[in-house]
Amino acid sequence: MKEGLDLATGGNPPSGPAARAKQARMAPLIRMEDVTIGYGRVALLSGVTLSVDPDDFLAIVGPNGGGKTTLLRALLGTLPPLSGRREQVAPVTVGYVPQRDHVDALWPLTAGDVVTMGRVAGRGAGKRIRPEDRERAREALGRAGLGDLWERPFRDLSGGQRQRTLIARALAAEPQLLALDEPTNGMDPAAELSAMDLLRALHASGRLAVVMISHRLEAVANYARRLAFVDKDQGLWRVGPLAEMLRPAELSRLYGREVLVREEDGRRFVYPVSGAKA
Amino acid sequence: MSAFSDFWAAHLIWRDPLIASVISGALLGFLGVYVVLRRVVFVSAALTQLSTLGIIVALLAEERLGVEVEHTSVQLGIALLFSSGGALLLGTLGSGRRLPAEAGVGMSYVLAGALVILGANRLVHVAHDLNSIIFGNAVAVPVEDVFILAGVALLVGVVHTVFQKEVVFASFDRETAEAMGVNARLWSGLLYFTIGLAIPVAARVVGALPVFAFLTVPASAALVASRRIKPAFALATALGAFAAAVGYLASWTLQLPTGATMVTVAGMLFAAAVAVRAIRD
Repeated sequence: MKEGLDLATGGNPPSGPAARAKQARMAPLIRMEDVTIGYGRVALLSGVTLSVDPDDFLAIVGPNGGGKTTLLRALLGTLPPLSGRREQVAPVTVGYVPQRDHVDALWPLTAGDVVTMGRVAGRGAGKRIRPEDRERAREALGRAGLGDLWERPFRDLSGGQRQRTLIARALAAEPQLLALDEPTNGMDPAAELSAMDLLRALHASGRLAVVMISHRLEAVANYARRLAFVDKDQGLWRVGPLAEMLRPAELSRLYGREVLVREEDGRRFVYPVSGAKA
Repeated sequence: MSAFSDFWAAHLIWRDPLIASVISGALLGFLGVYVVLRRVVFVSAALTQLSTLGIIVALLAEERLGVEVEHTSVQLGIALLFSSGGALLLGTLGSGRRLPAEAGVGMSYVLAGALVILGANRLVHVAHDLNSIIFGNAVAVPVEDVFILAGVALLVGVVHTVFQKEVVFASFDRETAEAMGVNARLWSGLLYFTIGLAIPVAARVVGALPVFAFLTVPASAALVASRRIKPAFALATALGAFAAAVGYLASWTLQLPTGATMVTVAGMLFAAAVAVRAIRD
């Protein structure tokens, strides 16, 4: 399955230095072509073609256990594809936000300690964290709306504050690509809305590609520019612009039942219809 | 005063074992913070068994194959090989999709334990003082063992000072560290390797029980008492050294078994830390 949006050079090389520079700026950060993802020799999903542009906001949606995290790991290069090609033109600085409950709150770390970890990869092995690294980390915590919690123990933070701290850690790396694994999992609706608004603001504030995965379509339908549907059990892999992907026919295929999409006051609502099989 | 004079007069006897015990307590107390926070306390038990297996293999090679491994440094080298090799393996293996990492630790412990029993059963010449060969004797520590222990402690200290930020990140959140370009497998492997180095040399001095205790109790006390990671490392190191020193001196003056006394002192320090925390909160 080809995505149809990638690397649209149209076969015509850019004509001047300015055009070439523009093309370089807009070249995909990461591209996967006809990739098979899986573990060991077990393939979960085949035929995955996907590119992430520098200003992308891509949401990967699918059921629990559908292969979303595996896909994200393959995209980030921490899980080699079983077949196919994964390319990136240049090294990409990644800020990663894991599922909140994957992070062990037992550790006696402050919010500041956690956010400063975002500077570790950039500093290089064996080099000490400098005051300016801490300054960047403080700024990142401020951007996440928790500037006054620098000294607060991570384990004493609320669930929403922990999530924002993890987002701040990713931002502290000054990433080109912000990758998030179920960032709103377990949040109440207000905290979920707040976290998604933060992501939208971060994306809008500069050249930052956002790739997030979620099992809740509702959570991302009002924020992402593109959607990808993943379900290894159905062998389903589809990606496209939000408007195309939010069609009832596409959604019904993902959920295996009739799905309604409504728009009220500028917000989209997605309703799987109880009992009605597609 | 007379008791103190007697005690001081014997300082040439207890000096080296005391120094070795204090270094062991400090070294293992420091590493114990990682062991406790990573929830892998039984790794130390598995690595102790693996280092013991190394010594048994060396002794069997000498008896059955005529390979010259009589010198204690050769035996220690083979024990280090088994322990640090096992540590590297356990450290670099992440949780699989079918089995958790704890299963590997448990299997290493029981399989190494079983092989130690089977191997010891086939030994003939050294069977009578096997315990002393394997676990040493804190009452009489050769000066070369003190130097080896100090060298290992220095190496571990330097490695963990230089690479602390990487080891902490990889230990706290391996998934994110990997995604953000930190080689979590390498740093976890390095941590386990240093634990694998420390265990056999410390076990030769203080014995298996104190090794297990020093890798868990001082760190637990420090983590109860401290709210920050760097003070927790410093406190665990200090508490490990203190428990070893007080335990050793108490066992000397009160004529008690050395290892058990050290562990009891460490336990009392943990109780004190819990009490201090309860009063402070």
